[in-house]
Amino acid sequence: MSTEESEVQLKKPWRLSLDSWAVVVALLAALLVRAGAFKHIPW
Amino acid sequence: MADAVAVPQIQPFSPALRFLRVIPGVLLLAAIGYAGKLLEQNLGAYAKLHHWVFPNIEYVLWAILLGLLISNTIGVPEIFRTGVATYEFWLKAGIVLLGSRFLLGDILKLGGVSLLLVAIEIMGAIAFMTFLGRVFHLKPKLITLLAVGSAVCGVSAIIATKGAIDADDEDSSFSIAAILALGAFALFTFPLIGHALHLGDRAYGIWAGLAVDNTAEATAAGALYSDAAGKLAVLVKSTRNAMIGFVVLAYAIYWASQGQAKAVGNKAAFLWQKFPKFVLGFLLISVLATYQFFSKDQVGALANLSRWAFLLTFAGVGLRTNFRDMRKQGLRPFVVGAIGEVVIAGFTLALVVGAGKLLGW
Repeated sequence: MSTEESEVQLKKPWRLSLDSWAVVVALLAALLVRAGAFKHIPW
Repeated sequence: MADAVAVPQIQPFSPALRFLRVIPGVLLLAAIGYAGKLLEQNLGAYAKLHHWVFPNIEYVLWAILLGLLISNTIGVPEIFRTGVATYEFWLKAGIVLLGSRFLLGDILKLGGVSLLLVAIEIMGAIAFMTFLGRVFHLKPKLITLLAVGSAVCGVSAIIATKGAIDADDEDSSFSIAAILALGAFALFTFPLIGHALHLGDRAYGIWAGLAVDNTAEATAAGALYSDAAGKLAVLVKSTRNAMIGFVVLAYAIYWASQGQAKAVGNKAAFLWQKFPKFVLGFLLISVLATYQFFSKDQVGALANLSRWAFLLTFAGVGLRTNFRDMRKQGLRPFVVGAIGEVVIAGFTLALVVGAGKLLGW
């Protein structure tokens, strides 16, 4: 078995950072509000 | 055989299972936050009904106090911990949504002033913490971590710097414990000082954003004063956060030049990797609000959504603060941090008051 064959290159799966997830979720929520999915959010 | 044979990591949990593990803790955050809101609404009314003298305590403080009580008495059970750790996620999502309450013009106006104040604060804080660390004979990399933590943005900055300068786990634990303990202290003292000095919402908000280190604590310290002060504290703190990449890069280059850290290859990629993306999200929502992408009612809904996200954050701030764990980290870094923070708080207060007089706030 050659060295090249025995070397297993582990590729890290591409993942969003916590920061980016927060942005994605917040933007999605904003778009849902814009689309009228939530008419009123109480406080 | 080459010695670099990578062993595939075993993922113990599938994404679905990881998501399920988060639920109990998030429910706990929501329950504590909501209990804080109910206490604010009902306790004041109950006290008034029974003619008791009782201070009006805001939900922010109730949520933090309830979290602190649980964390420092029975502790946070294992099943909740993964979910409780999501409080940072809610904080950042809340900040992005808060962007809807800022018009771009306000950000440019306030951002310009705060950028200047932030630059002065960062340089002053780094110089003073470095001097203080040397006086107390702390380890050089521990000094770097404390300086970055107090100058830029608390725990995130310390974690980012730790990786970039190859610092010890022990040094980063020391620094994080010191910054968190001082952040908890600031939560209770900043509003009292602000009221004692009769600071306006603007001056107080900018001061909290400049001087309180961790984003969650800065947001809470601002919100404890007033809604307007909370908004400004978030804006100024986000400006500080945006500087994280530059400060960490400068330290990484310095420690690499000393042969004690890996050299930085692509500096632009390094800066992008360290840049807090939620600042971009905040700006994007603000641009959309400025160009009336959202109606007035929708802006109100987004602002309320942001408040709910912060509610979970404030509960998390209390739950993750454990004074027993902090005591274990030792006294010296804490003393250095405490002296540094008091001086930085005084320095930034003078900066804000001076800027206020100059600009007529």
